[in-house]
Amino acid sequence: MGLVNQIKYLTLYKIIGTAVISRQTRKSLRHYRLPRGWREDILAPPLRIGAYTQQMIAKHYLEGRYVNGVKPVAWVTSGAPIEILKALGYYILYPENHGALCGARKVAQEISEEAERDGYSIDICSYARTDIGTALSGKTPVGKLPKPDLLLCCTNICQTVLYWYRVLADYYEVPLIVIDTPFVYEEANDHDIKYVKRQLESSIEVSEGIAGRSLNFKRLKEVVRASKDAADLWLQCLKANRRKPAPISVFDQFIHMAPIVEKRGDPETVDFYARMLAEINRRVENGVGAVKHERKRVLWDNLPIWYRIRFLSESLAEHGVAVVASTYTNAWGELAPLMDVERPVESMAKTYTYPILNRGTGHKLRTMESMIKAYSLNGAILHSDRSCKPYSIGQMDQRLKLLNERGIPALLLEADHNDPRAFAGEQAVSRLKAFVEMMEA
Amino acid sequence: MPPIKIPSRKEVIQREKSSGKDVAAIYPIHYPRELFRAFDVHPVEVWGPPGVDTKMGSAHLQSYICSVVQSGLSFYLEGGLKEVKLILVPHCCDSLQGLGSIFKDFVKPGQEVLTLYIPRGITEESVRFLSDEIEKLYKSLARVTGRAPARERLMEEILLEEETDALVKDFYAGRKKTPLSSREFYAIIRAREYLPPRDYARLLQIAPRQSPESGPPGRVGIIVSGLLPEPMEILDVIDEAGGFVVADDLACCMRRVYGKGAAENPFKRMAERIVQGPPDSTKGGSVDEISVSLTGLTEATGARGVIFYNVKFCEPEDFYRPMLKKRLQNKGIKTLTLEADINQPLSQQAITRVRAFIEMLKGEA
Repeated sequence: MGLVNQIKYLTLYKIIGTAVISRQTRKSLRHYRLPRGWREDILAPPLRIGAYTQQMIAKHYLEGRYVNGVKPVAWVTSGAPIEILKALGYYILYPENHGALCGARKVAQEISEEAERDGYSIDICSYARTDIGTALSGKTPVGKLPKPDLLLCCTNICQTVLYWYRVLADYYEVPLIVIDTPFVYEEANDHDIKYVKRQLESSIEVSEGIAGRSLNFKRLKEVVRASKDAADLWLQCLKANRRKPAPISVFDQFIHMAPIVEKRGDPETVDFYARMLAEINRRVENGVGAVKHERKRVLWDNLPIWYRIRFLSESLAEHGVAVVASTYTNAWGELAPLMDVERPVESMAKTYTYPILNRGTGHKLRTMESMIKAYSLNGAILHSDRSCKPYSIGQMDQRLKLLNERGIPALLLEADHNDPRAFAGEQAVSRLKAFVEMMEA
Repeated sequence: MPPIKIPSRKEVIQREKSSGKDVAAIYPIHYPRELFRAFDVHPVEVWGPPGVDTKMGSAHLQSYICSVVQSGLSFYLEGGLKEVKLILVPHCCDSLQGLGSIFKDFVKPGQEVLTLYIPRGITEESVRFLSDEIEKLYKSLARVTGRAPARERLMEEILLEEETDALVKDFYAGRKKTPLSSREFYAIIRAREYLPPRDYARLLQIAPRQSPESGPPGRVGIIVSGLLPEPMEILDVIDEAGGFVVADDLACCMRRVYGKGAAENPFKRMAERIVQGPPDSTKGGSVDEISVSLTGLTEATGARGVIFYNVKFCEPEDFYRPMLKKRLQNKGIKTLTLEADINQPLSQQAITRVRAFIEMLKGEA
């Protein structure tokens, strides 16, 4: 069985699959065409790096099809400290990213309904419903997901992931490592960081046991270095939007953030973002804006509405509104300075305790305020995401503070990151129009 | 049998204050009662309360936040916590996390707002962390009250709580023989949310234990699982339909009847009690751990059905429930899921479903 898996992996993924995907990438770069129906009148063409984004995602999921029995497989939460697993040679799958992909391909509802039919409430996170739906039915737009040998759940993005991974652990009957990160209301206490560090240290033995090899600390440092470098480059890509017009929109960022989430720690991800930064810089030099005729610049708070990215992008661009910064995409870069290659485990404990989602509502407001200033923004759209309570709680106060104390028009847009049933398109359009009028008043 | 007189929250708060004690408002779920008592701070829990007009809270919280948190914030905003010196918001879920954060960052009450992170999972690490976290809470209480109880005082209060827990366990164990209706029984159980331990122990002692009609014939044993039995009308409906709540798996009741700690260090001992206490979805235990506990409870009490009485938008409960239902059904235990909002009366549809559920169980007897 092991040998059969190895041969399949080598031939169908490594040799044939990779060659086909690379050929497609070269072809799409040579014969560059705008996506069907692209609104050239209001939007700049998509970044050419998109061909590589697609290539990375396609290769990642193709490898997943054949990886069981070849590499150890871990399913992890999006904010999990993956560097140890990466250094041990794990193939890493992010169910949240898979959920987002299902949302963007508009199949999340159908898959979620599989979970709902099994008794899961429509009130639980739509990523979780999508993931559980895939586990129960096998439905996925990527062909097939690899079965996990290990689950790694870090509570630094929400508590929801813990319950969700308990369900997965029970379903797949595999070990679950929980890295519990105490919530930071103001500043983290020493005992918080020590607690996270001790859990990281304990996780090494379990991860080694499943991988069947020992952790090489030199290799861990290399992975941490690659994570840090990629996060730093990602942040530079985002910061390019401080220029006017903004070279990329937040909707572009949502699409191109996939590698920083699911390929963190790989050298190819560092190369990818270096290439993306170069393309963005060329746009800056040539004065190309993501939104043609950029008149107003706004902030996006919270997760994307995956199934309406293009709709929202066009609806806003029609009014000359560029969404140029996001607390969400920023989260994947802002902690890069905390990572210390020479003290990997200690610095991981701190880095992974401090994501914006693990910090208080006041900290998020301050982050929004500083981004509004740094990116010269005229307004803020706060996506009130029914599937993400920890990100959404506090938005009503944050909106009022922005509006009343900073004079920043702010819109609370009700939706759900993956479930289209919670999105009222017409109502959203009229609210966006009113928001634009408010900015222009 | 004359009804047992249980003093109201208001009466208890007034009495405690006039005896020179401070009062703390405590939001759900887990916290060390004994720590507050050692500081002469009387803890009074805020589980909602039900029946609050949530308009004021809804200016801060979206409609998809559970009614326990909505009511809890509204209750403060309408002046319900004027009498308290401090507020504690334990971190037991994303919504309570948000409540604590909104209190600290935006609402900014006149009183001190303290938080307590409850670690997830039962490990040595969790105990060690919670011990540190409780020690931090000790320092905050010392700052707020100007008192610094010694180790002996802490141990005295810990032992008193352990004793009270043992009494509560005993009271539960005798449930089948008590002549109390389900509502009367749970009024006594829940009085612990605001009574001092000695008063509570007295209440348990005077509560009737034995009845010639104990274990009423023809009545079906039911377990209620969820956060809290609000609106409490659910208990009347169960009784009227021919059921009998023999035990519960409720966060505000049985899930907080902790065992004895072993450590000599008072902070560690308080941490052990909470971490090693009964399984609770918010503590993030494994599905096995929770289902073994629940199925064990049905076996021990002879319950024939479990009613999952779920507060809408409570994610921790929502995730575990489908698996728990399957495990129970595999053991021949029937289940019913009801959704509740603690501020709304029980719907006619819910009442009909409870009646039909108990009829079905009776029919199978």
